Amino acid sequence: MRKLVEKGVKWLLTLSGFVTSLVILLIIGFLFTEGAGLFRKKIIEEGYVLALNKENPVRTMTAEQIKAVFDEDVTSWKDLGGPDLAITTFRLEDVEKYFTEEELGAQYEYAGEKIAALVDANPGMVAFVPESMIPENAELNFIEDSNISPKDVFVGAEWFPTATPSSLFGMWPLLAGTLWVSFFAILFALPFGLSIAIYMAEIAPSKVRDVFKPLIELLNGIPSVVYGFFGLTIIVPLLQQVFGLPVGESGLAGSIVLAIMALPTIVTVAEDAMRNCPRSLREASLALGASKWQTVSKVVIPSSMSSIASGIVLGIGRAVGETMAVLMVTGNAAVIPHSILEPLRTIPATIAAELGEAPAGGAHYQALFMLGVILFFITFFINLCVEYISSRNKAKNR
Amino acid sequence: MVNRKKILISVFAIMTACGFIQAQRIKGSDTLLPLTQALAEMYLSEYRDSSIIVTGGGSGVGIAALMENTTDIAMASRRVKFSEKMSFAKSGLEIKEVIVAYDALAVVVNPANPVKELTRKQLEAIFRGKITNWKDVGGEDRKIVVYSRETSSGTYEFFKESVLENKNYMSSILSMPATGAIIQSVRQTKGAIGYIGLAYLNPYVKALSVSYDGKAFYAPSVETAAEGLYPIVRPLYYYYDSRKEPFVGSFITYILSPKGQASVLEQGFIPVGKEKPAGGNNVATKENGLNSEVDGEEVVRP
Amino acid sequence: MNTPVFPVGQHLRKRRSQSVAFFVFTLLSYLIVLIFFVILGFILYKGASVISWDFLTQAPEDGMTAGGIFPAIVGTLLLMLGSAVVSFPIGIMSGIYMNEYASKGWVVKFIRLMTNNLSGVPSIVFGLFGMALFVKYLGFGDSILAGSLTLGLLSLPLIIRTTEEALKDIPDGIREGSLALGATKLQTIWKVVLPMGMPRIITGLILSLGRVSGETAPILFTCAAYFFPQLPTSILDQCMALPYHLYVISTSGTDIEAQQPIAYGTALVLIVIVLVINLLAGLLRKYFEKRLKIK
Repeated sequence: MRKLVEKGVKWLLTLSGFVTSLVILLIIGFLFTEGAGLFRKKIIEEGYVLALNKENPVRTMTAEQIKAVFDEDVTSWKDLGGPDLAITTFRLEDVEKYFTEEELGAQYEYAGEKIAALVDANPGMVAFVPESMIPENAELNFIEDSNISPKDVFVGAEWFPTATPSSLFGMWPLLAGTLWVSFFAILFALPFGLSIAIYMAEIAPSKVRDVFKPLIELLNGIPSVVYGFFGLTIIVPLLQQVFGLPVGESGLAGSIVLAIMALPTIVTVAEDAMRNCPRSLREASLALGASKWQTVSKVVIPSSMSSIASGIVLGIGRAVGETMAVLMVTGNAAVIPHSILEPLRTIPATIAAELGEAPAGGAHYQALFMLGVILFFITFFINLCVEYISSRNKAKNR
Repeated sequence: MVNRKKILISVFAIMTACGFIQAQRIKGSDTLLPLTQALAEMYLSEYRDSSIIVTGGGSGVGIAALMENTTDIAMASRRVKFSEKMSFAKSGLEIKEVIVAYDALAVVVNPANPVKELTRKQLEAIFRGKITNWKDVGGEDRKIVVYSRETSSGTYEFFKESVLENKNYMSSILSMPATGAIIQSVRQTKGAIGYIGLAYLNPYVKALSVSYDGKAFYAPSVETAAEGLYPIVRPLYYYYDSRKEPFVGSFITYILSPKGQASVLEQGFIPVGKEKPAGGNNVATKENGLNSEVDGEEVVRP
Repeated sequence: MNTPVFPVGQHLRKRRSQSVAFFVFTLLSYLIVLIFFVILGFILYKGASVISWDFLTQAPEDGMTAGGIFPAIVGTLLLMLGSAVVSFPIGIMSGIYMNEYASKGWVVKFIRLMTNNLSGVPSIVFGLFGMALFVKYLGFGDSILAGSLTLGLLSLPLIIRTTEEALKDIPDGIREGSLALGATKLQTIWKVVLPMGMPRIITGLILSLGRVSGETAPILFTCAAYFFPQLPTSILDQCMALPYHLYVISTSGTDIEAQQPIAYGTALVLIVIVLVINLLAGLLRKYFEKRLKIK
């Protein structure tokens, strides 16, 4: 009986031992199944077609071209490989410009026929209409629809997830924005983080340290919403005045807030590493006549370098994944950033802001899960780096 | 599937009949949140034995939740999309639509900005990045900083439909997670322009007069919007499963009652029935008839 | 004027560079602490006037411009409780497995790698995952159940790590002594190892609660309600929560000016909760350490 209990408990413990691995697998699985659906989606909005006059030879258009046409940035079929003919766009909402309500019928039952006839009569027209409305016998040409390609998604430079007739899911600006803002956050946090770590580990009397340490931990515990709120009401207007910027919401504001948030991680890890530096090393250095500062800078810091490095990488991880604070202060403009003083948009902020409004199961919804996958793998990679650095460290110390 | 739903609903009916307090779940558009919250508060103070949960998340979340039966009423600041209608039709749900209020969108600038009025064409050029300096529209020599709502909010979509005539915003537009953030930013930024719901208008930002025909300019207010003079006006919707009518009907009737509509006005929205939507821009009402055969919905008006 | 003797000059230079470097580090450290107090003081200054008994025990009123935040406090406490039910047993058991049962080598390495990876996963990804698995796939809907599970998974790595570290520091001699006296492995763990590791495990548990109480992104799509003045009656109800309340109240609402004091008040309550939890963890650690020393 007792043996049975022992065995049962062992199995239970083994099971819970693998829970984290299971969760990781589930996260990958669920995010992937939702996200991968994006590449099975068509370029043109679901249930709709782009109808052309039957004389028009153009058959294929990329998502960018469709957007340019409907934004009236491209105005001639010549630019798309067709005849030299002006483009007229037609959306369902334009129907009343062309027809009276009597012509369309009380329930708009004649609308489909009328639109088909309209396209037939205008050689330069492209109509964006529901597939179900087009009468079966209509003699029209249609733009061939294709799947959204991974290339357009991962290196595309335009994020227009709700544009009609075809959305653009270029994730490159978001990825660049995330990395850019995190990079600067670490750049700001590093000198401060190391200073505090050195101060706490080497200089501060133990009483001061006893006050500082819980304070830093508390800094870690303050919810990110509070930081975002603080950033929006204090840091953003301050930056605007100091730098004379046209816009206060910028990568800089985001990096500063993120720097404050990543600080505790860096401090804690670096301080631990320095305190764990073997006493014998220190004493040897001091005995050779080195001052305390020389010991710290030439012995303690180099010997704990790899732990400090993993602390920095962990800090980057924290900055990359931060959501709410960034959402509130960076301005969220989906452009590839050229300077830190411009607004930018990060991946987590995009997910948090857009998931609410995206119709479930649609391409936009799946694109947001794809962003989740990307974010997951960035942090996964960062963690592997940390593991690698610290395992090398262990080998070296042995 | 259908059977399970039927059972669920009869359980619902029984529980309601027994006086079991089942919270009415209302979910969706952030635009409607403050209004619905205030109405729910009033309703609860009169019907003390009922219970209401109001949740935000956005129009898309609300409508998706309606499909999954995780909400009883979906709030939406846009009409259901074609694709959403198709999935409703697929799952055999019959959705009812109610317009509970109208909302006017005000175009706001920093109070220090001398510009007072803009035409629709100018607004389109500004929000599409074709005009980038205030001096091109009669203001000072200052860069225009354009604020918008998040990509997929109902407000964003409606402004795009109505003012930009469905063309896309420029990609470098600053998008803010909520209206409060836009007000905050416009207040701080001299060259800023943005759009907000009429209900949010406060003295820290200046609302512009807008003209669609380029001749008559109107400042946004409940009066001009109700008379159909101010052009950027949109309806706000509730959607619900028609089989849950007995369960949610009481709250909806309350909203549409004179008392509820008085509160709508008090919150800065335009009451239903008082409005005459401006001609030519109200896309939603046009599309209304077009797709009504898809799911047989109806517009309930008092 | 005497030219200084070489060693003395070097010594002086050494002293000077040391004092400059240490001065800079001290200055930067105090600067950060100052920033911290500015943030805290700013919120305290703005929020303190709002805090009252009514604020803590009443539901929001007048379109969120008056009344209190009672439902949000209760909601946050419920979520903390719910996530604790999920994460405490699993986390502790997982930690025990890693230190006591798993064969040292690749198994432990693999689990540790996965645990560290999980702890690095951004909270918004947990939110996405919770929405896909608990809300949609398992059909819990937006509920305290879904929110607690999501938050529980989020706090799991922290608990596993502190448990493992607590147990690792217990000398093997103690285990061997117990086994030599004829106790089984389970008895040894239950009666000897766990009680000794408990102080640090409990500290880890409390800190994980602190993290849970401040998270917004994971409950955004799994649980949080904007307005629900009554208290939830079942785990399938939604609930209000402090961090989400702060987010919505500071960004949406028709009367931002009137809501701002409440936003500051909410922020203050949130910070006080985190503060109390951190203090509690610190005190417990001190108390247990003292007791162990006396033994």
